Amino acid sequence: MHIMEGFLPSPWWQIWFIVAIPFLVLGLYQLKKLFAEKRETIPLLAVAGAFVFVLSSLKLPSVTGSCSHPTGTGLSAILFGPFITSILALIVLIYQAIFLAHGGLTTLGANVFSMGIAGPVVAYALYMAGKKASLNTFVNVFIAATVADLFTYVVTAGQLALAFPAAEGGVMASFTAFLAIFAITQVPLAIIEGVIIALVFKYIIDVRPDILVKLNVLTQNTVNRIREAAA
Amino acid sequence: MIDEHLLDDLALQNGLLEVDARLKLAVGIGAILIGVFSPSPIAPLAIAASMAVLTIGFARIPARIYAALLAIPVSFVFMSIIVILFMTGGGEPLWDIPILGHTFSLTTDSANLAVLLLSRTLGGMCSLFFIALTTPMVDIFSVMNRLRLPDEFIDLSMLIYRNIFVLIGESIAIHNAQVMRNGYSTFRRSIDAFAMLAGMLFVRAWEKGEEMLVAMDARCYDGKFQMIEEERRISATGIATATGYLCACAGLAVIFRSFSLF
Repeated sequence: MHIMEGFLPSPWWQIWFIVAIPFLVLGLYQLKKLFAEKRETIPLLAVAGAFVFVLSSLKLPSVTGSCSHPTGTGLSAILFGPFITSILALIVLIYQAIFLAHGGLTTLGANVFSMGIAGPVVAYALYMAGKKASLNTFVNVFIAATVADLFTYVVTAGQLALAFPAAEGGVMASFTAFLAIFAITQVPLAIIEGVIIALVFKYIIDVRPDILVKLNVLTQNTVNRIREAAA
Repeated sequence: MIDEHLLDDLALQNGLLEVDARLKLAVGIGAILIGVFSPSPIAPLAIAASMAVLTIGFARIPARIYAALLAIPVSFVFMSIIVILFMTGGGEPLWDIPILGHTFSLTTDSANLAVLLLSRTLGGMCSLFFIALTTPMVDIFSVMNRLRLPDEFIDLSMLIYRNIFVLIGESIAIHNAQVMRNGYSTFRRSIDAFAMLAGMLFVRAWEKGEEMLVAMDARCYDGKFQMIEEERRISATGIATATGYLCACAGLAVIFRSFSLF
């Protein structure tokens, strides 16, 4: 769910840039370090960014009939961690604005914060917690991806509510109103994306489980156990 | 499946391709900023109209595609505007609607805010389309380079840009193969087929990355792509036209600053 160009008034679009910038500066600093130390990760990061972009431009099978796209950042956070995801999300969101006319430039700060920082951090934290509690891998991925999607939309509703507080009840009242109206499309969408990303995991484990082991997403033991259970 | 046209394809053959990228970016971003700061709907609406004329008339982008692009923000804008209309309040009541014992009232201030936001979004989107449809990404990279953005960021952006087209080709091939095998015939199957597509896309992407690593090493990649820049000067008429246009937009925003519909 992108906030469209021109929708956030001053000072809110500037504020969200200021909130997002420390994360991005930190991300860029770590990217510089990664480029200097482990050059072999550069092409892999590049294909990861392109993957997130292409995934987010595919049309999801839809129930409501509205045009819906996966965010892709939940999957990226599980695979590459939240910090790399925030830089990838920044680049992907600029491309979405310029290639697909989704989102905008003044609202880039707000969109990077909701889709590139808040959602991925939640997805990563949940996935790690689930892994520690040795939850079933697919259930864990489903929960992480769905909640990350939902959280992204809660943050977007919050950003709009702060910019447009209600006359009676202030920010909280308009927050509830935005949440309620976005829920119509976003809740089914988040569940579908969760199911799909859990299935994506199944297919990756079928074909190239070594990638997931290499990225520290799964241990070799878990992969063996899943493959045995399937066989 | 990939329902949007990639605007970059259109940008590479638009009528304003030869105009300097810095000039086009300055006009587009300048208009976006004037729109977002304008206190009345007049300036954003004038920006939307003039940008549409520039893009369809001068850059020769087909009007049908332009109209399809304008439909993208509709669902987001529609849902948000409803909330703003009935929640923000202030001013004189225009219309009271009783729903389930509650009275939702539409007031002059909230109606004015909704009109302002609609016009700002329209102006902003038209300015964004102007940039998207007249400036190919390759030109934007060279502007980013001149602006001294971090090399790592530009390099990663360029590599992602290249791989986007590789992966789109892959996903279209997989999707066609799935459609031929009834992959999307029911809702359940389309969920499964979509997930298979995304999973295989990831595996293919990873393999492309590994291949690219070998190729880049073989060519002694040392962490920076060299771009050949030809020193181009922006024509004086170009600068004068762009400045004139932006001043006119800013002038409209100032003159009509206290105008409101209700």
